[in-house]
This record gives sequence, structure tokens and C-alpha cells, in this order.
Amino acid sequence: MNFDRQYRPLSILCSGLLIFLACLLLTPADLSAADEQTATATSEALPEAETPEPEPQGFKRIELKIDGLFGKFNKVVASIFFYPVPITPDQFQNGKGIPLAVLWLVIGATYFTFRMNFINIRAFKHALLLVRGKYDNPDDAGEVTHFQALTAALSATVGLGNIAGVAIAIGTGGPGAMFWMMLAGLLGMTSKFAECTLAQIYRRISPDGRVMGGPMCYLSEGLKEEFGSNPAMNGLGKFLAVFFAVLCIGGSLAGGNAFQVKQSLDAVAVTIPGLEDYSWVYGLLMAFFVGIVIIGGIRSIARTTEKIVPLMCGIYVLACLAIILMNLETIPDCFAKIFKGAFDQDAMYGGFIGVLIIGFKRAAFSNEAGVGSAAIAHSAAKTEYPVREGIVASLGPFVDTIVICTMTALVMIITGAYNNPQYADMIVKDQGAALTSQAMSSQIHGFQYVLSVSVVLFAYSTMISWSYYGERCWAFLFGDSKKVSMSYRILFLVFVVLGSIVSATNVLNFGDLMILGMAFPNILGVLLLSNRVKKELDIYWKKYKSGEFDNQTK
Amino acid sequence: MGYFQGKKILVPTDFSESSLNAITTAIQIAEDPASVTVVHVMVPLDMVSPGVLFGGLTNEKRTEHVLEYAKEEFEKHQIEGVAFETLVGDPGIKLADFAKDNEIELIIIPSHGYTGIARLALGSVAERVLRHAPCPTLVLRQPKK
Repeated sequence: MNFDRQYRPLSILCSGLLIFLACLLLTPADLSAADEQTATATSEALPEAETPEPEPQGFKRIELKIDGLFGKFNKVVASIFFYPVPITPDQFQNGKGIPLAVLWLVIGATYFTFRMNFINIRAFKHALLLVRGKYDNPDDAGEVTHFQALTAALSATVGLGNIAGVAIAIGTGGPGAMFWMMLAGLLGMTSKFAECTLAQIYRRISPDGRVMGGPMCYLSEGLKEEFGSNPAMNGLGKFLAVFFAVLCIGGSLAGGNAFQVKQSLDAVAVTIPGLEDYSWVYGLLMAFFVGIVIIGGIRSIARTTEKIVPLMCGIYVLACLAIILMNLETIPDCFAKIFKGAFDQDAMYGGFIGVLIIGFKRAAFSNEAGVGSAAIAHSAAKTEYPVREGIVASLGPFVDTIVICTMTALVMIITGAYNNPQYADMIVKDQGAALTSQAMSSQIHGFQYVLSVSVVLFAYSTMISWSYYGERCWAFLFGDSKKVSMSYRILFLVFVVLGSIVSATNVLNFGDLMILGMAFPNILGVLLLSNRVKKELDIYWKKYKSGEFDNQTK
Repeated sequence: MGYFQGKKILVPTDFSESSLNAITTAIQIAEDPASVTVVHVMVPLDMVSPGVLFGGLTNEKRTEHVLEYAKEEFEKHQIEGVAFETLVGDPGIKLADFAKDNEIELIIIPSHGYTGIARLALGSVAERVLRHAPCPTLVLRQPKK
């Protein structure tokens, strides 16, 4: 335990949760009182009024209330962030189109890829060498090595998005969604490169050597520096930074937290019957284990998870490969379906555009390229050259989307789980993790237990990493002090419990909204600063090609 | 001869311009840099940043970093001969404890004068120090521009 704290961490944790529970219990009491009033009012007017249908009581009722609130909020924000932008004449007539946020991500990723001359492909080998530590210098400013920064960023992105999100994408978009997901991953590598390079350029290092970096810093500092003479740009930078920080906090509470809890709960509930009725128990348990790390200060648990997760990734990919090998004869057919599905006008999966949207959206949610979150982790890396960390960061979408997501997608297609009527109900309910679990255990007997464990660990490590992103943004808005951080941590734990209560669809939508919403300020900022990135890249690449760095290595 | 001449003075610093100026003020009041102790209080480490998880960031390493940083900053501002310490924790309580343990006779602290949201969220470090201080405390308020 960390004895340096003046407050006993456990007491804060307990009191926070108690207050939350008290609030929950008080709300229905108020409402039932109000109901009684209306009931008496109506009974006066209509003495013979029929008794209303019995409403669910206790926790069920609280669940419905919270869920309803989420649903209402989502609707309002979605009408802005996911405003359908019509592309084809047909869409103009129907008032449909590509969601604004997805279109924005695609435009950004494509532009960066061309602007940086396909650095995602050019620098691939260099990226691998960097991660292996060939060019590491322990004396450079920063907190962690290239490899550690990449692991930290990956533990936030590799999570349920790769297992649950992809299963839903294939379920609703058909095999063709995989094609667009891979393309989005490839383009996303450059978005990631650009944002992480900027995060390194404009990071702040405090007197004690801690790093504060990420979109909130490069949006506010970068725009001020690049367009110093223009006060409008300065204001814009500040606005975008705050806007980003607010969305990132929202994302850390929903997509990086509640969504993870909910989806892992679904996957575990498949293997442990009866858990579904006591979902809040799972929520409290998760909150306890997250709490002892982020408030209790027991670092060893987080450290262990950080080591187990790569192992779990390995097991998952191997299991998927095994399933693929067992069904080797179906592979050509499978790829035929993928390519056919990608350009098909089949109305069943929403047509060509519909599939494209699903693919890009899920890829963005899974690898977070263009969203700016990973830039926070990558800013902490020790390096003299910002571009170097950008190149390392570009491996993120590769591992996350092109390797792991593809594995899930192939398993879904090979096993035929995506169009099996038996599982149609799960797709409708967005229970992606449960779907993958079913698909895999149909091939490898008993794999659902292994998957349950890895799903919980993935969820856990993602939550820990996102709590870090959220806390950095919280600190950016409210200052770097102990009390400020503690308030965020308690809020985070409340959302862990909330995640186990609200319905999956509403949580999923809220997470999508916040995390994809982060792309608006982030990509706009990166677009405005892309000249700076290009300049740094050219200088770095010239030095690299001249062999200057090879002379420095031992 | 001033009342505080030669008395032990504590100056908390966050290395901002105003807090570095406060050190100069303290030296003038004490008339001897040797009786001035400058203290930097660091926020407790969070538990989830990559630096902490991978062991790249520890309180020892942070202290080293601060010492180096302090040396540079002091040189820049021609501050010489003062003692320098680092602490970890809540500034108000940590500084009060430090003052008690080291028989400090005067604390000199600059005030940033935060307003708005920052004021609400942060309160003021100066305020907290003042509330817990076991000895006379001088708050160097900045005149509003």
C-alpha cells in the first residue's frame, strides 16, 4: 500500500460507492412518491380507473431509468456527430448517408496517407527495428521506451473492440465489412503516425520529469505556435483542446469503461449461468479490482495484467489460426465472400455504402486511429525525434486491426456464425463477445472458458489504460493535483458499475459517440498542423536514409 | 535589523516565475541565503500511466529530475546558497509538517490568483498552506493587471 496518502484509499472508495448507491435508491423513492401523487389525482378524476401494468421493481427499475437517460442523451448527440452526409443521388432522396464522424475519419486518414507519401508502408521495417530497441537511448527525455509506449497504447486499443465489435460488424455488415476494416486499418496507420508525432513535438515535461502530451496539448500549443499571428487560430486551438478533453473523458467513461464491462459481462454470462440476473454484482466486482489499482495504488496487479495481455493476445490469435487451419479448404470461398461482399449492392447488409460504413466505423473504434487517444500514451516515450515515435505508433493499427480484427472476422466467416439464424438474436442485441465465444467454441471444444478469461483481462487492461487517458484530460482541464485526480477516479468507478447495469445498445452507442466524436477536434488539428509533421518527417527520413542513426547505435 | 533577519524561512516553489521571485524576496528578507529553504512538493504518482507501470517513473527518478531542473532554474535567476528539498504529497499538509519538523520561523508563498473554474477545482495551494501553517506566513499576492 502507498502510505503516503493522507486519506485512506479504501474509505474514499467505499464512501464514493455508498453515495452512488444511495442516490440510486433515493431516485425511485422520489419517483414513486410522484407517481402516487399522480395516481391519487387520476383516481379522484376517474375513480374506476384501471390499475396500470405492474412496473418492474428494485434494481430492474433503476436499470431501466438509467438506460432511458442514456438513450435520450445519445439521440441528441448522435443527430450532430452522426449526421448522415448523402453521397449518391439515391441517398439525397432518402435523406440517408455516411455518418459525419466516419466520413471525417476517412477523409483525414486518406489525406494523411497521401500527404506523408505512404509512410505507413515505407517505414514499416524501420518501425519494427525501433520497437526492438535498436535506436533506444535511455538518456532521452520521457518516461518509457518505444516498446513500452506501444504496449501501453495497444492495451487500450486491443480489447473488446477486436472481439465483440468485429463480431457485430461481420454480423450486421456481412463478410464484406472485413475488407473495409482492413483498408481502414491500413490508412489509419498514417493517422496514428501524424497524431503521435505531434503529441511528441508539443508535449510538456514538468519539473519532475512527468510528461503531459496528446491532442489537448498539440491543439492548444500547436495552433498557437504555427499560426501565432492569428488570434482566431489561437482561440480555435484552445476551444478544440477543451472540446477534445471533454469528449475523451466521456469516451474513457463509456467506450473505455462501461462498454468493456458490459461486453465482458455478456461473454462471461454465457459460460456462467445465472450471472445475468445479478449483473450489478459483476459491476461491483470489476469496480473493486479497478479501484484497488487506481485508488488503492496496488501497482503489481496492473503490472501483471500488462504482461498477461500480450500473452492472451497470442493465445487468441493462435486459437483463431488453428480454426482457420482446421477449415483450410473453405478459405478460397471465404475470401471470395469477402471481396464480393465488399462491393456488393446486396440490400441485406445495407448495400455497398452500408458495409463500408460498418467496416470503417468498427475499425476506427477498435484501433482508435484519428481519434487521438493513443497519442496521450505515445507522448511519454523517450526519444529525441518526434517522428520516431510516430513511426512506432503506426504499428498500433497494424497489430490491432490488420492482425487481430482480421482473425476474429475470419473465424466468424469460416464458422458461418455471422448468418446463422441461431445467433441472429445475439447480433440484434449487440452481444458481440458472446457471439465470438459461441463461434469459437463450436470449433474448439471448451474454448469459451479460455475466451471468458481473456475477455475479462482484455476489458480490465483496456479500462486501466483508458482511466489514464481520461485522467490526463481531466488534469488538463482542472489542474494536476491529488484531489482533482481522485474525483476523476471515483467517477470512473461509478461508471464501471453503471456499465454492468445499462443495456448494451445504449452503452455501445454512447461509447461510439464519444470516441468517434474525438476525431472532430483531433483530425481538424492534425490537418492544420500536417505541414509541420511533413517537415519533421522529411528531415528525419533524410537523416535515416543517410545512415546517420546507424552510426550512433551500439 | 529586520524582525525576520537570520530566521529560518521556507519558500515553496513550483518553478513558476512568481515563485522564483518569491525566493529572491525571501533572501532579501532574511539577508542571508543560507537561512532560506526552498521546497518543491510533487503530486503523488498516479498508478496507471505507462511510466509508472513499466517502472520508468519512480519518486527517486522524479526527485533527481527536479534537482537538476532546480539547479538550472536557480542559475538562470541568480539564486545561490539556498537549501533545496523535495516532498511528495498534498502541499498544504506536507509543507506544514516540514515547517514543524525543521523549526521554520516564516513561510513565504506566492499566490497565482487563479480565477474561475481553476480556482474552484484547485482551491489555492497558498490557502491550504496558510490554513495548516504552524508559523507566520507571508502570502505575496500579485496585483491585478
